[in-house]
Amino acid sequence: MQNVTKARLQKEGWIKNIRKYKALYLMVFPGVLYFIMFRYIPLGGITIAFQDYMIFKGILNSPFVGFKHFESLFSYAQFWRVLKNTAIIGLYNIVFVFPVPIFLALLFNEIRNLAYKRTLQTIYYVPHFFSWVIISALTVQFLSLSGVVNSVRKWIGLEALLFMQSEAYFRLILILTSIWKEAGWGTIILLAAISSINPEIYEAAMADGASRLRQMFSITLPLLMPTVVVLLLLNIGNVLDLSFDQIYNLLTPMTYPVGDVIDTYVYRVGIIQGQYSATTAIGLFQSLIGLILVVFFNSLARRYQEEGGLW
Amino acid sequence: MAQYKESFGDTLFRYLTMIVLGLLSLLMLMPFAKVLATSFSGPNPVDAGKVFFWPVQFNLESWFYVLKQAPLWHSFLLTVFATVAGTFLCLLVTALMAYPLAKSEFKLAKIILFMVVMTMIFRYPIIPYFLSLRSYGLYNSIWVLIIPHTISAFNLIIMRTFFRGMPKELEEAAQMEGCGYFGLLFRIVLPSSKAVLATLGIFYAVGIWNQFMTPLMFIEDQALYPLQLKLREYIIYTDMATEGLKVELPYNNTTLQSTTIIFATIPILLVYPFLQKHFVKGALLGSVK
Repeated sequence: MQNVTKARLQKEGWIKNIRKYKALYLMVFPGVLYFIMFRYIPLGGITIAFQDYMIFKGILNSPFVGFKHFESLFSYAQFWRVLKNTAIIGLYNIVFVFPVPIFLALLFNEIRNLAYKRTLQTIYYVPHFFSWVIISALTVQFLSLSGVVNSVRKWIGLEALLFMQSEAYFRLILILTSIWKEAGWGTIILLAAISSINPEIYEAAMADGASRLRQMFSITLPLLMPTVVVLLLLNIGNVLDLSFDQIYNLLTPMTYPVGDVIDTYVYRVGIIQGQYSATTAIGLFQSLIGLILVVFFNSLARRYQEEGGLW
Repeated sequence: MAQYKESFGDTLFRYLTMIVLGLLSLLMLMPFAKVLATSFSGPNPVDAGKVFFWPVQFNLESWFYVLKQAPLWHSFLLTVFATVAGTFLCLLVTALMAYPLAKSEFKLAKIILFMVVMTMIFRYPIIPYFLSLRSYGLYNSIWVLIIPHTISAFNLIIMRTFFRGMPKELEEAAQMEGCGYFGLLFRIVLPSSKAVLATLGIFYAVGIWNQFMTPLMFIEDQALYPLQLKLREYIIYTDMATEGLKVELPYNNTTLQSTTIIFATIPILLVYPFLQKHFVKGALLGSVK
């Protein structure tokens, strides 16, 4: 009996709140509708991973098949190939791409000439604003048979190579283009962290006769480490979120064995060929692993530094 | 502040970093320079691999040809429209949603915020997303360039944090005079949030301008291709103009593709000075969330 009145009171509280702050409810409505339609309803659509989805029957009438698609996934060579490629490329991103902005930021910090520094920064930031279509088109031209690299090769007596069609170079090209596009952008946050270091520390070091190089390694780098560690943990959490735009635009059928990743595979087999259920199973598998990684590494980041996590 | 004389080693080190960074920046510019030079060169030296960073047999024929392509301009204008309309819509809906979420008297704020953060943690698989949006009638629709990007959870949280940090006195004075929440948001709060609006506007605009995967999935009709898809079409299906022709033309596929690439970078370069004023702030906003 008492519970009922309490619940009723609370309910009245809601009604009163809605009446009083009608405008706020109205404002939030389009946004909430967006999240429901474009985030939560698609999430409900993962049921088709457990169905033999047929487009004319829809989600409601397609037959349920349980874990059939997941079982067949694990016995399917293509799946292991794209999973392996996704993991390797993600790992390369962390090992080879992630450290570059740190290196750049340390060097930028040494430049005193402001005009020179600004000019350089402008050049380093620009590629971030270009689409992957443009960046990969530039890459393809640069590495083509009449491109710069092959011209130089011919000039020093080497044979021209079809870089874009070669399995050996594909992942290297991914690493280099990622660095090219995003490394400069990545320095912004690090440079801000560096500029917040107390200048008295440097002055004390200079009074002790420490060289600039010594200051870089004994002051700047250690004091930058907390920021770096947090960024690293967040990066590892998102290790499977590769750039579809980048890989799709650089990939050719010849490089599928080393470059076909979950996203490009799902696009090709799911959207183009229409195998909706099987590819939803792959996507769900990826999302679940991603979820575990993000939650785990985010909590690590938070433990490492307060306010360090994404949420 | 004490002045310390720079030692010889320090000077050397400083110049070394300047040189290393300078050389790296030249390396970054090389592919651009090559393509730019190619777009102004004749076809024969280009095919022979003789064009590096300076045009050979300088001519403007490739540019005349590309600038006369009606479909390219069509895609360009379509993308301009999507970017302008989309950025406006994104900012409006994001601000409308962020404002109540920043108010402690709004009872739903916690639940909605939780709902938003959940979408950042769990990535929806692409196929159900595709099927849902198609069932909304967004397949082959120009609106697919805009509507699916309306709110980024990340930008929403940045804006909410910004609203929360605003001094309460500003609003209280207006509230006394009987100003409602809509009035507060549009007459008091937003006019004093220009910096954050500019920054988030840039994020939204660049995202819409450069979007590739969404149009790739949803747009089949070539008349609705945004610039990035049109660009890829020109670059992949190489035979733009020269297929089967034995006549000597003042351009070939490579020079035309190069011109198209440069054409697509120009709009970004034109607005870049404006972007640069705001994006550094923006990149930092994101880091302090």
